[in-house]
Amino acid sequence: MSATLTPQAGRATRGTTATKPVESRWERLAPYGYVAPFYLLFAVFGLFPLVFTFVVALFDWNPIGDRTFVGLDNFVRLGEDPRFWNALRNTFSIWILSTVPQLVIALVLAQVLNKARLRFASFWRMSMLVPYITSVAATTIVFAQLFDRDYGLLNFFIGLLGFEHVDFKNTVLGSHVLIAVMVTWRWFGYTTLLYLASLQAVPRDLYEAASVDGAGEVKQFFNITLPSLRPVIIFTVITSTIGGLQIFTEPLLLQPTSGTTCGAERQCQTLSLFQFEQGFGVFNFGYGSAIGVALFAIIVVVALINYLLSSRVGRRA
Amino acid sequence: MAQLVDAPDRSSAAGRSKGPGRRREPRLDRVPRGRQVGRVRWYTYAVLTLAVLACLFPLYWMFVVASAGTEAAAEMPPRVVPGGRLLVVTQLVFDTIPFLRSLFNSLVVAGLIAVGQAFLCALAGFAFAKLAFKGRDALFLLLVLTMTVPASLSVIPQYMIIAQLGWVDSLQALVVPGLVSAFGIFWMRQHISATIDDQLLQAARVDGASSWQIFSKIAFPIVRPAAFVLGLLGFVNAWNDFLWPFIVLKSPEVYTAQIAIKALQSNLTVDLGLAMAGSFLVTVPLLVLFAFFGRQMVSGIMDGAFKG
Amino acid sequence: MRTTAPPLAHSPGRRAPSRRQVLSYALAGLGAAAATSACSPSAPTGPRDFTFWSFTGIGQKADVERYMSANPGVTIKLTEVGSSQETAQALTTAIAGGKVPDLALVQAADLPKFALSPDNFVDYRRLGGDDVGAPYLDWVIAQATTRGGQVIGIPTDVGGLAVAYRKDLFAAAGLPTDRDEVSALWPDWPSFIETGRRYTEATGNAFVDNAATSVFYQALGQVSEQFYDADGGYAYTNPQVRQAFDWSLDALAAGISARVDSFGSAWNAGIGRGAFAVTCSPSWMLGTIKSQAPDLEGQWDLATIPNGIGNWGGSYLAIPAAAERKEAAWEYVRSVQSPASQLQHFVDAGSLPTTPENYSEPELADFTDPYFSNAPTGAIFTKAVLDITPFPVGRYTAEIGTELQNAIKAVELSAADPAQAWAKGVRNVEIVVGDL
Repeated sequence: MSATLTPQAGRATRGTTATKPVESRWERLAPYGYVAPFYLLFAVFGLFPLVFTFVVALFDWNPIGDRTFVGLDNFVRLGEDPRFWNALRNTFSIWILSTVPQLVIALVLAQVLNKARLRFASFWRMSMLVPYITSVAATTIVFAQLFDRDYGLLNFFIGLLGFEHVDFKNTVLGSHVLIAVMVTWRWFGYTTLLYLASLQAVPRDLYEAASVDGAGEVKQFFNITLPSLRPVIIFTVITSTIGGLQIFTEPLLLQPTSGTTCGAERQCQTLSLFQFEQGFGVFNFGYGSAIGVALFAIIVVVALINYLLSSRVGRRA
Repeated sequence: MAQLVDAPDRSSAAGRSKGPGRRREPRLDRVPRGRQVGRVRWYTYAVLTLAVLACLFPLYWMFVVASAGTEAAAEMPPRVVPGGRLLVVTQLVFDTIPFLRSLFNSLVVAGLIAVGQAFLCALAGFAFAKLAFKGRDALFLLLVLTMTVPASLSVIPQYMIIAQLGWVDSLQALVVPGLVSAFGIFWMRQHISATIDDQLLQAARVDGASSWQIFSKIAFPIVRPAAFVLGLLGFVNAWNDFLWPFIVLKSPEVYTAQIAIKALQSNLTVDLGLAMAGSFLVTVPLLVLFAFFGRQMVSGIMDGAFKG
Repeated sequence: MRTTAPPLAHSPGRRAPSRRQVLSYALAGLGAAAATSACSPSAPTGPRDFTFWSFTGIGQKADVERYMSANPGVTIKLTEVGSSQETAQALTTAIAGGKVPDLALVQAADLPKFALSPDNFVDYRRLGGDDVGAPYLDWVIAQATTRGGQVIGIPTDVGGLAVAYRKDLFAAAGLPTDRDEVSALWPDWPSFIETGRRYTEATGNAFVDNAATSVFYQALGQVSEQFYDADGGYAYTNPQVRQAFDWSLDALAAGISARVDSFGSAWNAGIGRGAFAVTCSPSWMLGTIKSQAPDLEGQWDLATIPNGIGNWGGSYLAIPAAAERKEAAWEYVRSVQSPASQLQHFVDAGSLPTTPENYSEPELADFTDPYFSNAPTGAIFTKAVLDITPFPVGRYTAEIGTELQNAIKAVELSAADPAQAWAKGVRNVEIVVGDL
């Protein structure tokens, strides 16, 4: 059958469509109606707020008091604000700590799940998706307890082994690890399934040929599996970056006694949480929006880096 | 049936960035194309068992503490078997906050978003895949671009808009912005392109069917399973959403379940048994849903129906 | 009891999780009122009905119930949820969003920010006359009075200070257990810390729950000048604040702290498990101790706070200017915050009245609490607040307190260098004050 129906964006593909040349005015307009809901909602709740973020960031804006135009003051202050750099550092640290192990675990598990003769295949896959359907809020409450300094299960075992209890919540590295564990736990099964789907697109004879050549499982992994997964790995890195920049609920709920700072030293306050603190904690809409603009700039930079890296890798390959 | 829409094209960055979204059509479990053959060794099962234990233990632990009450959360050595107080603690949760109402609110919000996404994404995806109209490709490119902008960076103006609309503290503030998603449209478009034969639609056209009739009578019934999976994932995401409901909802009677468990936690006392019971109660409905439709969700995700 | 210590002051108050209280209060009398208040989605309809936002733990539900049963036909839609900070944030977003409750409970530390835009609230003088604040403690009503003289809050309670201690653990450590003898152990903070050292040496266990709250915050409530001077300028580096800060560091250096953050889950668990022998407890905290350790009735007792007096917390009822049922809300406030009603509230819920004419009434002065070994709680807390002389507060009082306290918590919980703590705290205050 003719399945040439994937018009590349940016290329005229009129010929592939199922429409007749002559149609009523209504019929001509109908497609716009079908796609309109998205653009309408996006305009109101996506695009306008995005643009308006840049405007609000130029003001000293108190929602129940005054607003004053202050130009770029908010940005100047942001550059000098150690809390901003702290939040930036925390965000990236948590992002790396959660992304790298997640991808490694997912790679291994996908490889394992890809065995043709694996039993209970469906059971393994479904079980690994259970964390994904568990909410971040519930996840945080459970893990905060498991990792508690005084009464946590993990520290009970650490104590049994004769070590001092570790205060995960109140140390920089500890709180980052704890949040990274939560993120990894929620997403590794999901990422595994993505990798598995990609692996299944790899022609089987590649593996067979490798087997015949005497390549062991490890060699097959590095020579076949990894290269064929490169696109999906890049994809998951992008999505985990976008997700990682928005980590909010975990640090908010991890330390219920410290409000929006995630600890006395802001040791796990992320950019998203810092934005919330400024916007809805102390109601400085202008400064909060400036943090939003900074987030936007970071995303653009990350996207550029990603584009450069992937096109270079692409050329080399 | 159609083969893969496009062969892996490693030289194109654009193609790659869609990643797994490319691999659309065939039910993946069916074809063992990429499967590794050979014997499955014992350590394979050991690794998988370990992974599954890691996935399930935290939920089990949640149940243990929830069923044993707050005392159990501070027991040393920790308790490992469930207690008999689940009903008592549940009652306590329901007494502390209007939790049943919160669950109902979540059901309404997530349900409407699921239906909205399944239908509106299928409709728009159909238009992008099968209808010709001026500016289509530009609109589609715009749509793809919107996926890379995280919503949370502009929450402050979003809140201002909701305030202007008079929707603060109301459920429509959650439902309306979530009714349709760029990703859902993207996915449905790919899916429709790959599964629906042009000739079929052409034939209907010749018979004088309108585009709406073609969609509702022919296209939608074909892609209904995919739309269902999309709705399912939309439901899960909406059910679990926290930041936005946390910003716009102020009164307990409009709380969603996720916000309600935060409210349980923020008394002068942080009662862990209560918080765990709340967490357990918001997770159970999804576990039930998952028991019924987990298989569809797995294949949907493997088909690329995920949301970053 | 009072030493030569500084003239005491009024209400600082923590910003973050302050004043959230006992679950038992939140749960008390669930019956009909809970169902109505929590589950009824319908807006009030009668002319005397209104909506009311409160945080948990202050026992507003009891007041609402009593008012409704005394006024049949009146429906109050009470929303009692979360912490004081969250209620203040919700109120701010509500004012910004244009959909406000008719009445809101605001914690003292959050009030100065609202007082900056007094137009957002009803001036009680318009409803109750110019002397509307007369029945209340001067320094308490002063805090709800703007520069222009508008009264935007009616005070519901104050948080007189005391020390809650475990008699059984004291006995085991060879310390006296009688409350007067115990009070005599710590006329001031250095002797409090010294007592802790004796306890910890004898038992090997921690003495006090933490230094950041149980030492620093209490001592901070006893100064004559806190973060602002009389002219509204910053004074947060003044010697009294510094002294309170250093006492808490001394307590940490002495190794007497259990290093559990107040109001966290480990703190709650620690109350019942003997993780610490004392915690400094304002009147509104007694209920938490009871609810977390019901089995320990008769083991806890109350002694006076080092330096004798002080206050932490306190709340106000405010009517937003955009409220639809201002009159109905006012009618409620007038009735429920009358001296007689506040006295009743003390007996029911333990919150200390803001109306000094009650302080000599036998219902309060002779009140004893069996859980705390029949300690005369009314008399103890009253003594702590009566001689207070206020210090000026300002817009950032809550934030400055939080930042300085966080610098101590960093030492206490995150092993930061104590020698750097003060400088770090001051630097963080400068940043916060710069941006709000």
